[in-house]
Amino acid sequence: MFEDSKVAFFLAKRSIARGNKGTLYLTILIIGMVFVNLIFLPSIISGVAVLFNQQTIDYSYGNLVIEPKKNQVYINNADELQRKIERIPGVTGVSPRYLTGATIVYKGNEVTPLLYAINPDDDRRVLKIASKVASGEYLGDGDTDQIVIGFRLAGNDDEKLDVIPSLGGVDVGKVVDVTFNNGVTRQYRIKGIINSDSYDVDSNAFITKNEYESVFGLEDKANQMLVRTQETGNEDMMRNTLMAFGVQEKIWTWEEKSANFLNQIIGSFNIINFIGTIVSLVIAIVVIFIVIFINTVYRRKQIGILKAIGIDRSVIIKSYLFQALFIFAIGTIIGCGFLVLILQLLAANPIVFPGGPVAPVVDAMLILRSTMSLLAVSLIAGYIPAWITTREDILTAIRG
Amino acid sequence: MIIGSDLRRYYGLGAVQVRALDGVSLEIQKGEFIGVMGPSGSGKSTLLHLLGLLDRPTSGSLLIDGVDVGVLDERARTVFRLRRLGYVFQDYALVPELTAQENVYLPSMARGMTPQECTLVCSDILGVVGLGDRIHHLPSQMSGGEQQRVAIARALVNRPALLLADEPCANLDTRNSKVILDLFRKLNHDLHQTIVMVSHEEWHKSYFDRIISMKDGVIETETNGNRDSDSMGNPSG
Repeated sequence: MFEDSKVAFFLAKRSIARGNKGTLYLTILIIGMVFVNLIFLPSIISGVAVLFNQQTIDYSYGNLVIEPKKNQVYINNADELQRKIERIPGVTGVSPRYLTGATIVYKGNEVTPLLYAINPDDDRRVLKIASKVASGEYLGDGDTDQIVIGFRLAGNDDEKLDVIPSLGGVDVGKVVDVTFNNGVTRQYRIKGIINSDSYDVDSNAFITKNEYESVFGLEDKANQMLVRTQETGNEDMMRNTLMAFGVQEKIWTWEEKSANFLNQIIGSFNIINFIGTIVSLVIAIVVIFIVIFINTVYRRKQIGILKAIGIDRSVIIKSYLFQALFIFAIGTIIGCGFLVLILQLLAANPIVFPGGPVAPVVDAMLILRSTMSLLAVSLIAGYIPAWITTREDILTAIRG
Repeated sequence: MIIGSDLRRYYGLGAVQVRALDGVSLEIQKGEFIGVMGPSGSGKSTLLHLLGLLDRPTSGSLLIDGVDVGVLDERARTVFRLRRLGYVFQDYALVPELTAQENVYLPSMARGMTPQECTLVCSDILGVVGLGDRIHHLPSQMSGGEQQRVAIARALVNRPALLLADEPCANLDTRNSKVILDLFRKLNHDLHQTIVMVSHEEWHKSYFDRIISMKDGVIETETNGNRDSDSMGNPSG
């Protein structure tokens, strides 16, 4: 067996070294490109997922979301619960908030965004919205007659530029009318406009929790309580810790809260990725198959001679498998080189998605999976033509 | 050493059946240099293919070195060809990407020899065929005569019991043909190599111990060659 492999390797080595270089280089280049294609799109999709995940944590939910008990509208004794949770090891911030629908009107432009009512200082410890003020300032804890809105909601003078219904280009300092869903209408001065790259944040509005409670006559309650933990990734464990510390409300992880949205995006991308992967692998299998098939047909007589002088058919097939392996190995290495160049290019000029710049994520599993699938198709594409050609009887092959 | 009994090889069926070999029986002793001659279509190449295990007879039996080769499966026949037979083709049939040395190296390597052993036997055999200084040349860099000598070296490298040559001089001019035939004669004489060679050149007869003349798939005559026994010694002894 080992002797057979030695002979096959010897034949393959000489064939590669002294055979047609042009065809060899072209085939290797194609395999390299296929490898890049196998890695690149999934890495972008992973990058998008990482971006959306991080945005979900930083701008929408923190790590954990506490919601009222079943059949209750509010979390009661919110201050006490907040203090209790803040004392739990691993928790770095807790932000109670209200969510409500509201109608905002400015110069005849009427929009109905979500209105978040927050304690700005608490919010800063959980989310990063405060650091994304494009103009004006973020809310302060004592603010009552001020509102902060997302830049999409503020909109543009030219409504053609708007992607959602907007206030027609309202600026910081302008006053808008806000009608709450209990019928109360109040005027608020625009204190700041947010541009966070988070679609959710940039399309909605924020007032202080105190102001909201004064409108609705509430005290020491909340619709949601966002929790930031020291580490991301151990949310399930932290949920158990919170429950162990006596939190009886519903506790969701950020993944659970955003599951449908993210899964739809990733699901759609994965369909594109799947089609791209299949097309790439088919290209690889066809190219290697054609190259090896032409090679074996061209050497049909030589294969017959080799069999005639006592070289076993399996040795000849193996020699073509070694050639296919060589093409795969060098193609993969060259593909890696291309990939590094592309990644460096993207680091300098990132692809900007609606959620922000996307950094491709190339993990070991992705490389391993792509390499293994390319290896498998290379071996199949090398084996089949060699098997077909060597099946021919010796005299027919020798006579050509 | 070789005993063929009632060997037949038919191609096709019914009215279009071609009887390439139609009942050939022969015996070849160790050390003989046999010439198989006859016109085109007489069955001489078919006979050589059967002796070389490149084809199977439709019927009949063939014993080489006491082995009934008819019962061997494909893998065993391949091993038999590698270890017991050497084959020289009309058009040299060298692997174009291998040098002279590598072409000769190949069968010994397939046989499981170490690189050192391979190199040694290759150098020896290439020296015997007179190509000691051309071992690193590719076939494309060699003349037809030189290529055929490499092919002969390749056929001999595993010290086969039987060397088969299918019109080895057909593509060579007279001078190179003579070089090849002289080489065969030398191998036959010095190494006691059994050789069966197909030819249709009359002047080749002087090299053979025995001539099997074929016609229409059967042996027409068997005659002694015109070889000068004084200079050749007694190869069949």
